[in-house]
Amino acid sequence: MIAKTTTRLIAATPLIAVLAACGGGAADEDSQEAAAASDAPPEIGQRQENFEGIGDAFKAIRSQLEAGSPDMAIITASATEINQRAQKVSGFFPEGSSIEAGYDTEALATIWEKPEEFSKAANNFVAASTGLRTAAESGDGAAVGSAAKILGGTCKACHDKFRVDDD
Amino acid sequence: MWDWPVRVTHWAFVLLVPALYFTAENSAWGWHMRLGHVLLALLIFRVIWGFVGTDTARFTRFVRGPAGVIAYLRGGYDPAREIGHNPLGALAVLALLGLMFAQVIMGLFAGDPFDGATGPLNSWVSIATADTFTKTHEWFFWVLFGMIGLHLAVIAFYSAVRAQKLVGAMVVGKSEKALGVEGNSEPSIAALLVSITVSAGIALWVYFGAPPLT
Repeated sequence: MIAKTTTRLIAATPLIAVLAACGGGAADEDSQEAAAASDAPPEIGQRQENFEGIGDAFKAIRSQLEAGSPDMAIITASATEINQRAQKVSGFFPEGSSIEAGYDTEALATIWEKPEEFSKAANNFVAASTGLRTAAESGDGAAVGSAAKILGGTCKACHDKFRVDDD
Repeated sequence: MWDWPVRVTHWAFVLLVPALYFTAENSAWGWHMRLGHVLLALLIFRVIWGFVGTDTARFTRFVRGPAGVIAYLRGGYDPAREIGHNPLGALAVLALLGLMFAQVIMGLFAGDPFDGATGPLNSWVSIATADTFTKTHEWFFWVLFGMIGLHLAVIAFYSAVRAQKLVGAMVVGKSEKALGVEGNSEPSIAALLVSITVSAGIALWVYFGAPPLT
């Protein structure tokens, strides 16, 4: 019985080796990806972090608007953050840092093919974020609501044109 | 040992789970969501089939309580006499189906309308809830992958150490059984048609945002 089990364990060795090799392959891919990521322009990571921050702050505002009695302090802080981050956006798009160039990003090459349209979209976003900040500082819930809608429209307008299709 | 709907569903899971991972990694959201709904349909199908399918497909036949699992682990279970999922494999079936269901359901609510793709039921929940589902959906697949890894390791153990050809049985549906042990029952075509219609119908309905039916 022991002999039989040993034989089977020996028979199992190639299988275990294959499993280990698969694991090793995945690790190799990871290190390759890490290599590609270290070649990537640092702006890709910076803009992603910036957009994450904008997204979280905008979600915080919309959560407050959703609630019966929105907390104006949270809204103002988040609107200020969005406004500050919005002004950094256009600086985070060095030429060629697109998905077409092979980077881990959703930014389309269209950004640099239509630079005027892109900078117009970025400016619209900054303007809308200033509008939201002003509305928040005024403490007028209804004004915040409509300014947030306008801001959301500028997010979407840019995503629709300059980011990979989401459907 | 296993009917063809069980086997087709199983191997479809094998194709779909990596495909869903890669479509997500490559931001192919349209395909990610379409394939996600195919997975939803298959999961619903497998659950319905677990009640109306052939003998070895039915949960009541193979899912045992803790006592059954312990008895199995102590030996005293002859796979040639009791065909189908063994009591330990039953736990893997439940865990894998449960984890896939959880992941798919979170995906239905995930996303942000201002930030790319959204699951069809995203607007049903609050922004904070959708955000929690989104973030959990993004890491939860590792839990599923962990369970798949365990499943593969145990299958490899059965194949190598216990010489049970489970993979072959999942492909062709047959396994060695003792003389006189009854084989699996035949799938009922009526039950199959009803199961497919209901599961595909629910998945399609969810895909269109689960609109009111009246």
